[in-house]
Amino acid sequence: MDTASHITLAALGQQLLVGLSRTTILFIVSSGLSLILGVLRIPNVSHGSLYMIGAFVTYSVATFIGGQTGFWVALAVAPVAVGLLALAVERGIFCHLYEREHLMLLLFTFSLMLVLGDLVKMTWGSDYRSLSAPPMMQGSFSLGGMPFPRYNLFLLIMGPLVALGLWALTNKTKIGKIARAAAVDREMVAAMGINVSWVFAFVFCLGCLMAGLGGALVAPTQNITQGMDHAIIMEAFLIVIIGGLGNMWGALLGAAIFGITDSIGILVWPQFAIVFPYVAVTIVLVFRPKGLLKSTW
Amino acid sequence: MRNKLWLLLALVAALGLVLGAGPAMAKTIKIGLLDCYSGPPSTYTNDVRDAFKMHMDKVNAKGGIWGNKFEVITRDTKFKVDLGLSQAKELIMREEVSMLVGTINSALALALADLCQKEKIPFFATFSKSAKISGEKGNRYVFQITENTAMVGKAAGAALAKKPYIKYWIAGDDYEYGHAVGEGVWKQLKKLKPEVQLLGQSWWKVGEPDFTPYITAILAAKPDAVIIATGGRDCVPFLKAAQATGFNKKVPFFMHTAAELATLRPVGKNAPEGVLGTSNYFFYYPDSAANKAFVKEFQDVYHRLPTVGALYGYITAQLITQAYQKTKSLDTEKFIDAVENATVQTPVGPVQLRAEDHQALLPMYMGVTKKSNQYDFLVAHDIVTIPPAEAAPDLDEIMKARGK
Repeated sequence: MDTASHITLAALGQQLLVGLSRTTILFIVSSGLSLILGVLRIPNVSHGSLYMIGAFVTYSVATFIGGQTGFWVALAVAPVAVGLLALAVERGIFCHLYEREHLMLLLFTFSLMLVLGDLVKMTWGSDYRSLSAPPMMQGSFSLGGMPFPRYNLFLLIMGPLVALGLWALTNKTKIGKIARAAAVDREMVAAMGINVSWVFAFVFCLGCLMAGLGGALVAPTQNITQGMDHAIIMEAFLIVIIGGLGNMWGALLGAAIFGITDSIGILVWPQFAIVFPYVAVTIVLVFRPKGLLKSTW
Repeated sequence: MRNKLWLLLALVAALGLVLGAGPAMAKTIKIGLLDCYSGPPSTYTNDVRDAFKMHMDKVNAKGGIWGNKFEVITRDTKFKVDLGLSQAKELIMREEVSMLVGTINSALALALADLCQKEKIPFFATFSKSAKISGEKGNRYVFQITENTAMVGKAAGAALAKKPYIKYWIAGDDYEYGHAVGEGVWKQLKKLKPEVQLLGQSWWKVGEPDFTPYITAILAAKPDAVIIATGGRDCVPFLKAAQATGFNKKVPFFMHTAAELATLRPVGKNAPEGVLGTSNYFFYYPDSAANKAFVKEFQDVYHRLPTVGALYGYITAQLITQAYQKTKSLDTEKFIDAVENATVQTPVGPVQLRAEDHQALLPMYMGVTKKSNQYDFLVAHDIVTIPPAEAAPDLDEIMKARGK
């Protein structure tokens, strides 16, 4: 068996790009998780469920409107819908619990995961759904003689845009700056006369909106089904941990490590590719147990 | 008050005696149908149940068999082995079913095969593909209707050996079904055509969200053809990724059930063309009067086209009613003797149930996916029939594995 001959530079480049497009989804989802973790100090276990709801809403809106525009409308509607749902949950229940023990908050997000999972089952049933990419994003184009899916190119463009948007929001706007300050010292922020509760609501809503956006973007590439919440939450937590808790750039770095080791592993050692990202996570944690970048905790 | 209660109890007891002592034959034959009817597997299992019931309703409408009517009791196992097993026990003990039918879950099927052997009641495995059910774990009480992984391997290996491809790549689900199919196809292919080469293999986790990196890596190796051993719901996202990357246009690939209606219908017109797929049944093939009549009957009742599961459910029902017709008794052992070696006239022609291993010998069809003017999903064309003799598992190997 001759395994090494097909690992050419072109193939590696191609695989790198495919890995980066997966990175986009992972980054968008885990940056939201990291944001909430950094400011609210809560591992939001229900983050994956909101991602799943994002995908289901995208399916429903896209098929309801149909055609080319359906998907684009869905891409705008789904994250907002998920963000509003998160806001309702935060203002309705979550904000009354901030003074409680940390474990209580963790348990709350866990129960929220179960409730949202059942909500999806009640709304969309237990069948899986399948959504096609909009016509202009279907098929592939040739890249150095290798086919590269158009939709993956779209994801590659979306990744940096979202990262830039998040950066601008947290660094250039007042609310973003307050949120960052609250992440470092919430007592001090409160002492300055700022309503921390509403800052938390904003951050929670924004973080969950990112989960919804991730779900909307992933919808045309995979089955939209129960269980996609569990698959993503595991990976997102690992990414946040290796990147540094609460650090947005850490989420980007972690997602890149995860996405790229996965796709390169598939090329280099396909029989055991499943373990590659986890080996990378282990190596990072052995040498930098607190994550690659500075944690806000 | 107490006297009245006694009187009532005595009445109930007497009524029970009268009803229980009726003629031995004229009673209801209860059949327990248990399968996963929720979640993704229901794409396949609903048709098994519906076609089974359709046949039983037809028989009941004509007065049953020797005055016996059939009653089908269903349970949703939710793809859980422990739940399915407790439901089976409940069906046997409380509902007193005469036999069990069903399940797409191989682990549950093997557990039920064991249970039914202890309880001495027949079990018909309708959709679980493990070769162990009629192979090494087979027993007198278990029958396998669907093709199993060993048969998929033999049939696809035989069909691929006729194609000109030399350099292959194998990729699939990293669990029993994937490995059993992948290795089964390769073993048969290598036997029939020794010059084939295996360039490499890739195995992904079940429920893999994104197949694109796997496909691009396989394309980089430039194989002549690829064997994809993925099953169930993963078929749909795989076909979507194949279409997005243009995989099917670069390299032909084989995937069991790829040309099946249950797989192609959800992807619609966007499914990739030119994919090699095998199945026991297409609603448009064989193009025979028997199949047309079956499709019409199914459509009239359920207003949808039958998938391969409908064939499995229908054949199981045919085997059961035909055996009772023959034995004229409700004795389980006589029933099993009658099912063994029985041949039924099905929509895909005569199907024999092999006496030695209790495996139904169905023909296998290999086709290539193609767009159709008639339907809003792809269909198989250039269909090649692999006769049961070429796909049937080897009896000597089975008997050796069973330790006989």
